[in-house]
Amino acid sequence: MDIKNEILWRIYLVLLIIIISAIAIFVKTAKIQIAEGDYWKAKADSLYLEYRPVNAARGNIFASNGSLLATSLPTFEIRMDLKTEFLTNEIFNENVDTLAKSLANLKDSPFTPGGYKDLLNEARKNGERYLLIKKDVTYPELKKIAQFPLFELGRFKGGFIEIRKQVRKRPFGQLARRTIGYVNSEGKMVGLEGAFNDVLAGEQGKQLMQKVSGGKWIPVEDITAIEPKSGQDIKTTIDPNIQDIAENALKRGLTYHNARHGSAIIMEVSTGKIKAIANLGKTKAGDYKEIYNYAIGESTEPGSTFKTAAMLALLEDGYIDVNDTIDLQMGRMSFSEEEMVDASYHALEKTSIQKAFEISSNVGIAQLVVDNYQMRKRSARFIKRLKDFNLHQPTGIEISGEGAPFIKEFDSKSWSGISLPWISIGYESKLTPLQMLTFYNAIANKGRLMKPYLVSDVEEFGVGTQHFRPTVVKRTIASERAIEKMTKLLIGVVERGTAKSIHTHAYKIAGKTGTTILNYKANLPKGYRKYQASFVGFFPADKPKYSCIVVVNTPRENGFYGGSVSAPIFREIADKCFAMDVDMHQAINKDKPKAMIAQHLPKVKKGAQKDIETSLAYLKLPFENDSELDWAVVSNAKDTLQITGRKMNSNIIPDIRGMGLKDALHILGNLGLNIKVSGFGQVATQSILPGTKAKGQTIKLTLN
Amino acid sequence: MSTIGTKIYARLQGDRTIWLVTMLLAMFSLLAIYSASGSLAYKYKGGDTEFYLMKHIALLIAGFGLMYICFLVDYKRYSKIAPIALVITIPMLIYTLVFGTSINDASRWITIPVVGISFQTSDLAKLALIMYLARAISAKQDYIKDFKSAFLPIIVPVLVVCTLIAPADLSSSMLLFLTSLLLMFIGRVDIKYIGLLVLLGIVAFSFLIILGNFFPEIVRLDTWITRTKDFIVSSDGSYQVQRAKMAIAEGGWLGVGPGNSIHRNFLPSAFADFIYAIIIEEYGLIGGLVVIVLYLTLLFRCVSLVTRSPKAFGAMLALGLCLSLVIQALVNMAVAVHLVPVTGLTLPLMSMGGTSLLFTCVSLGMILSVSKYIEQMSSAEEVKA
Repeated sequence: MDIKNEILWRIYLVLLIIIISAIAIFVKTAKIQIAEGDYWKAKADSLYLEYRPVNAARGNIFASNGSLLATSLPTFEIRMDLKTEFLTNEIFNENVDTLAKSLANLKDSPFTPGGYKDLLNEARKNGERYLLIKKDVTYPELKKIAQFPLFELGRFKGGFIEIRKQVRKRPFGQLARRTIGYVNSEGKMVGLEGAFNDVLAGEQGKQLMQKVSGGKWIPVEDITAIEPKSGQDIKTTIDPNIQDIAENALKRGLTYHNARHGSAIIMEVSTGKIKAIANLGKTKAGDYKEIYNYAIGESTEPGSTFKTAAMLALLEDGYIDVNDTIDLQMGRMSFSEEEMVDASYHALEKTSIQKAFEISSNVGIAQLVVDNYQMRKRSARFIKRLKDFNLHQPTGIEISGEGAPFIKEFDSKSWSGISLPWISIGYESKLTPLQMLTFYNAIANKGRLMKPYLVSDVEEFGVGTQHFRPTVVKRTIASERAIEKMTKLLIGVVERGTAKSIHTHAYKIAGKTGTTILNYKANLPKGYRKYQASFVGFFPADKPKYSCIVVVNTPRENGFYGGSVSAPIFREIADKCFAMDVDMHQAINKDKPKAMIAQHLPKVKKGAQKDIETSLAYLKLPFENDSELDWAVVSNAKDTLQITGRKMNSNIIPDIRGMGLKDALHILGNLGLNIKVSGFGQVATQSILPGTKAKGQTIKLTLN
Repeated sequence: MSTIGTKIYARLQGDRTIWLVTMLLAMFSLLAIYSASGSLAYKYKGGDTEFYLMKHIALLIAGFGLMYICFLVDYKRYSKIAPIALVITIPMLIYTLVFGTSINDASRWITIPVVGISFQTSDLAKLALIMYLARAISAKQDYIKDFKSAFLPIIVPVLVVCTLIAPADLSSSMLLFLTSLLLMFIGRVDIKYIGLLVLLGIVAFSFLIILGNFFPEIVRLDTWITRTKDFIVSSDGSYQVQRAKMAIAEGGWLGVGPGNSIHRNFLPSAFADFIYAIIIEEYGLIGGLVVIVLYLTLLFRCVSLVTRSPKAFGAMLALGLCLSLVIQALVNMAVAVHLVPVTGLTLPLMSMGGTSLLFTCVSLGMILSVSKYIEQMSSAEEVKA
């Protein structure tokens, strides 16, 4: 055989083998399609997969000081797929004992190791693909459970399924619950949660999921998952301290008067920022809870607080002055044969308009409005004034469900001869507490009407993406002169009038009481009437910082007048706000420090020298120091405070009596002592004598 | 357009059928890649499905450029550089094994300094070894049955290169070993020597397995065992294989149509190792047959080169390169239909394989260069006659 032929037969042999292989491949392909086709198609269907939405982490809601008002905590649900393709009997049987033991060792586990083993074996037998192992698992717990035998093999081999869930938590509990919002019983989101849902919700992601028996979807590890985009955070104007004050004061008031419900709003005068908004309603259980946003949603006839609008209209039109005289006719007067009576009996006849307003005389205000508008055929002008004050417009607060205001038109069908006098004293109109407060806030703000708002910023990972600035709705609602006179009238109400019970010398309050009969149409005798008591005003009146309204619906015990029900709540809120805010206080040391005032110098706690010096410098108190050490005692020396440095020995317990708790804890903690504290104030006694060597003892401190 | 096409075709030297098959495979790969890279595009490129297509097109253009250059080079030069290439390759293989970049836990890649392109050294070694074998076999034809002067110089490089590739990439090593065996067989090496070489191969492999117990990070013993076990133990195959079968079953005679594959989303490596399954899902049994026929056509043309000039270096070179390519293609398809265990070998020219594609193009360029000269030679002979 020659070389060529030998090569040729060999090459044809190779070619033949390759062709046979190719045919084999083709035949196998055809076999998969034709002979096994149905099997594989069915299997593909059983592994039916679909892209399912995955919810994004919801954004947080922050208070104005950065505290968390609402946040989403991730929790996990652990499930197990006992029929996963790669979980062989060998692997399962090898690990089921240790897994059962590990599960039984978990906190609050319902089964013993034996119980778990039975559960797992049973589920394996039934081919369960979605066996519930544990609910409400925290992230650290999840990490731990994921390391359990079998589970550590993951989704495919170990059948481990983790399902991420979110729980919305409000760290302050009930505080401003309705305004922060939640999902109500109808599945609708209320409050800011609802209003800013678009921002908070983020963008859904996509995850490939497999349908298993029982119509459940379980996530599949896959390469195409689209991560959800986390929601943005919102920062509210709410100050949790003021909110807490408002809620507590309101709750105390409502309980004392056994009222049906009530609300209180505190607004920053210059900006329209709502610092607190409390809404409490009596539940069936008899306690008070945030169940409805009365402050924003409930429009009622406002009653006497509306007289301020009537008065401002008269002043703005220049028809009257506060010192003009008016005949109150002992509190009884008929308008178009309808008798109007003052709320409380008096025998006043000729008196000043100022006095009439202070005692909230219905007859007085109605008479002035009727004389100056109706009698002169210019009733429409009065309504136009009310519209100048923007009382006919909703505030446009972010939260949905704002009650629509109602101011009767002069040309409307329901307008009658008695409309004007009744409107002037707060009937035949409807306003929500927030709308009323917005009007009073404009008076406090020298006529500038601010839009109330609750959200100041939208943030993403702590970086602002949107900032909401204060909005001026109306540059001025009335002339400066009229506003000034109005403010004086309102101060008079508190100093001498219906709210004199809350008068204080510490700061000035301007405001107006209101008592509305809610069911006057039924013409019931006095004992069956339902009232709404309100007080609205601002403080400090000479330099207004906050405006506030308190509305109490249906007080049933201990009085029903605005002056006796709502005004005290207002005062409690105002007192605490005032106490909290140094800027509102009159400086007691604004004059130059006088010589020889040693007897007036305050007692100063011992503590960190730098802190003491900073505090004294801030208070502009004279002091001298003779050393630069970490710690110091302060003594009164003639007309100045003497700061004497104190050296702390690293292992000797010092005399810490007279120190604040913060400093005491710092020093004793550094010495490695265990500290037990009782009482409030500064350290009065210490259980271990100064000078004792510190060696990890327990020291008891009594504060006083 | 057609006139330009005809002009090019008329001017085109070398085996026109090989040119045509190459073009068709490249076109087919564009369609397949566009479909199969969908899930990859969603994962890494925000749904920009064109990204991987563009990358593939760019690589194809570069590959065809290289192919054309290799086609222009006189094939006799390959004979000259073959020993040099082999000598350079061996240290590179050792370097890769010890310091190479790992992709999928296998240390197969090295990065060319300055240029920054990574490539698999085994691709280079394959070319060098086949070139060397073709040269040695054709040069020693007259005393090819001699053990010392012919057989030893041939088998030593084969054993060294294959042993160095094997720890990180057993499939490529075995493929190269098989190609070498076939080339030797065709080149008239004595059958008993070939049997001896097979024996030596088995010894070397056993040695590797023992080594793997001590150096698991170098020898991928685990992967080999799992894949073989999956193949032998489970009749349905591993998850990947099951998915591939579902895709094939879905295809039917004519397929679900371009871009309509469902299983590409669930089939790992749909764009590389398992692209054949996606081709069948989209283009059916007929599409799969066309692909097989294209590769076989390539082989027929190369065989015809050998039959025309059996002893020539060129014919051996073309056949060796072509065998390696076609066997790899068949193994890839066999994996997809679950005839052999999972190997990780790509479908030459079709898979989205990066630099491997360039080496495939270089091989094809060399084959074409050979075909050009054999054509010229035979026409010259005709003229002489």
